[in-house]
Amino acid sequence: MYRWHAVASWTWGVDDETCAICKRAFDGCCDACKLPGDDCPPIWGACNHAFHLHCILKWVHSQTPQAHCPLCRREWQFKE
Amino acid sequence: MTVDSLSSVCNLGALDSLSEASISEIIESWNSFCLITETIVKGDNAKLKTSYLKFQDDVCSLCKYGLRSLVEEHFLLSLQDMLEKHSAPKFWKNFDAYNNVPDPEVDDKNMQEDEVELLLCKALEEISSEKQYQEKCLLTLVNALQLCGASDTSTEGHAVDTEKIFLSKYQLIVSSVLMTTMPRHFTEILHWYFKGRLEELSTIMAGDYEDYNESQDDNQPRNMDIDGTYDQKKIMENKLVRNIGMVVHNLRNLGFTSMTEDAYASAIFLLLKAKVFDLAGDDYRTSVLESIKEWIQAVPLQFLRALLDYLGDSMSYLSPKSTKSPLASTPSSCYQKSGKPSEGIVRWQLRLEYFAYETLQDLRIAKLFEIIVDYPDSAPAIEDLKQCLEYTGQHTKLVDSFISALRYRLLTAGASTNDILHQYVSTIKALRTIDPAGVFLEAVGEPIREYLRGRKDTIKCIVTMLTDGTGGNNSGPGNGDSLLEELNRDEENQESNSLDDDINTDDKQTWIDIQRWEPDPVEADPLKGSRYRRKVDVLGMIVGIIGSKDQLINEYRVMLAEKLLNKTDYDIDTEIRTLELLKIHFGESSMQKCEIMLNDLIDSKRTNTNVKATINQLSQTGGDLREHEASFDILDASVISSNFWPPIQDEDVKLPEAVDRLLSDYAKRFHEIKTPRKLLWKKNLGTVKLELEFEDKTLQFTVTPVHASIIMQFQDQKSWTSKNLAAAIGVPVDTLQKRINFWINKGIVVESSGADSNDHLYTLVDDMADGGKSVTNNEALGADDEAETSVASVEDQLRKEMTVYEKFIIGMLRNVGNMGLERIHNSLKIFCATPPIYDKSIQQLQSFLSGLVAEEKLELRDGTYHIKK
Repeated sequence: MYRWHAVASWTWGVDDETCAICKRAFDGCCDACKLPGDDCPPIWGACNHAFHLHCILKWVHSQTPQAHCPLCRREWQFKE
Repeated sequence: MTVDSLSSVCNLGALDSLSEASISEIIESWNSFCLITETIVKGDNAKLKTSYLKFQDDVCSLCKYGLRSLVEEHFLLSLQDMLEKHSAPKFWKNFDAYNNVPDPEVDDKNMQEDEVELLLCKALEEISSEKQYQEKCLLTLVNALQLCGASDTSTEGHAVDTEKIFLSKYQLIVSSVLMTTMPRHFTEILHWYFKGRLEELSTIMAGDYEDYNESQDDNQPRNMDIDGTYDQKKIMENKLVRNIGMVVHNLRNLGFTSMTEDAYASAIFLLLKAKVFDLAGDDYRTSVLESIKEWIQAVPLQFLRALLDYLGDSMSYLSPKSTKSPLASTPSSCYQKSGKPSEGIVRWQLRLEYFAYETLQDLRIAKLFEIIVDYPDSAPAIEDLKQCLEYTGQHTKLVDSFISALRYRLLTAGASTNDILHQYVSTIKALRTIDPAGVFLEAVGEPIREYLRGRKDTIKCIVTMLTDGTGGNNSGPGNGDSLLEELNRDEENQESNSLDDDINTDDKQTWIDIQRWEPDPVEADPLKGSRYRRKVDVLGMIVGIIGSKDQLINEYRVMLAEKLLNKTDYDIDTEIRTLELLKIHFGESSMQKCEIMLNDLIDSKRTNTNVKATINQLSQTGGDLREHEASFDILDASVISSNFWPPIQDEDVKLPEAVDRLLSDYAKRFHEIKTPRKLLWKKNLGTVKLELEFEDKTLQFTVTPVHASIIMQFQDQKSWTSKNLAAAIGVPVDTLQKRINFWINKGIVVESSGADSNDHLYTLVDDMADGGKSVTNNEALGADDEAETSVASVEDQLRKEMTVYEKFIIGMLRNVGNMGLERIHNSLKIFCATPPIYDKSIQQLQSFLSGLVAEEKLELRDGTYHIKK
């Protein structure tokens, strides 16, 4: 054996399959993006709910002064 | 007869008034007149002169008693009698020899033609001279009549008229006598004659023509006396033409004008036809139309010109009125106009050219299938055909004959889908030349499309044609690259369009379109909107076969996935190029998934080097080099975004431990680099390059991971039972049996039935002398096995999607009893409006239903589906 070309698929390892905001798969990308992967990562809040980065950012920006998690209404904070 | 005419001329009162003396005078004159008439008609020229005065006297005295018409009648009758009894039989007797020759071709042709020629000339001359003599007799009578007429005073002004009337009467007599007595084979003789003459002439001319072509390469009408050789040829030619002219002239004098014309026209046409066949033949690589036209100019027209000139000349000094046969048909009117030969010639030219066009067109249409088979090479033939059709306008003929050829030769079970598609593409291209509006293409293409829709592998073949641009060049000319070429062409168009990319483009385009508008050809089917026909676009027509571009793209995606998964070197330049082209054609959004797939590969390449670099660093610094020889150098990985790939067949397999460890290390690295992303290995996918070392030699293989894990199990243990091996690899026994066939076929593993009949024993072959042999034998089988796909095929996907509707269909059929395909389709559309929404085409439904029929869940009777009881 001298060359092994393997195939794998990647996943973000998010518990939910789809982003609650755009209803698209995390392993896919949000509405605005075309290419999945690094360009469109998911992001976790302090409440452990995950959304596409772009989706939640849009949400956060529209909510002033303080944004809440769209799912549990807790204050939105990015998980460190 | 005399009494009749007598009573018709004279009334009884006149008879009463006749004196005894005058009666005796009449009788005397009459007797003498009859005698002289008889002698002169018999052809004694000498007596004509001696008895002329007496004849004149008799005629005069008879006229005096008002018996002029009787005289005329009698004279003409005796002439006719003479003709019937002597001249005509004598003339026809000449040809009796040929009476019993049904087919001139069978006999010695040359001999016969020469004979016929001589005979015909001689016979014609004979009868013509006889006729001339009789005409002379007639003129004598006319003279005599005129003399008494002069004394009679009144008829003087009509002298010329009388002569005319007599001559035409005589002409009528001659031709009717000859026509009635003519044996049936005379037309054939005439035909042979002209054919022979024309062929002779044509060879002379052809010599000329070739010389001419060699000496001069322009298309000017031939100058007859360019140099000395031409003079000589010209003399020969002129002699020949004069000869023919003579014959034609004589024939015409005898009242055979139309027959003669028929004969030589048909001879010319035959010759022309032969020439066209000869020139056109089975060679489609050259355009023959021009050379045929030149030939028409050079040979038949030259001949006709000479002939008409000759006849024109001769007619000007021979009495031209004599040619006016009552039997002459309308086309022969051009001979009467031989004073203006140009018109006659022009007419002939048009006739000949039309005939040539028609012949060539028929020839080409009959062979259109072959022409299109080697289309790019046969473009000149297509061009010819186009010109011909412009003249003849028989497009329907083309369509009909081509469709029947297609049905008979292409759309059969024996033809491979690829061939049909290639032919279709060539057809599109070829017919586009002939008819840019695409109306006939529409008609011709329909059966092909219809047929292709019924074939399962059509989409696959189309996609292969689209993508395998380079493969075509290897496998054969004009193969495969056609569609990619088409893609490229489209791209160029697109670019040129984008050049004038100002706001007015649309307006401008519309204006140009308007200016270009032409009414649809009459053959156009008014039911189909003309918009569809405007753009004859090969890709569009190909996609039209499938019905929607989505299906095509789907298939393309599957094929692309297959290809990409089996790549080991991340080299996807050609795929990127193809994708770009497809994007231009089908729109960016529809190709997005494919783009992501390609992007995955590009990313994988980057990640792969990245991962490897860090691992190597680690292993060097950490120094924890594993005892196993397998290092990361041998491992490459493609990481895919599974959401955007077509469903991939997942099959669990236990890889050899070493590899497994490598993979998990790799995944860990990946996770470190791309937190929080994780890798999920598709262990059954990918390719493995193996080298099997045997005592005497080593063999290289490129196989799937499953095959690799199978063979690697044999590294430590020479023989396995199927159950144990399956457990070790983690696949079901039947899968293992399927897979291991690959190695058995390669002659590396042998199968023997073990103790348990279900449990086979596999043993590694040591003696490669034996194995080596079977490698060559079973190459093909191995290849078959490798054709197994890693990506779920479109049919499988469809099947999976359709199973949702199976309940519906079965339920419906249970309630309704039996339903046709269309009805099922429509019902599903109505009832499955909520998700899962039924969005399949009727073809897809049909294939799914036939699957159910095959599973014996349904049955198909008289076009309707039933529940199988």
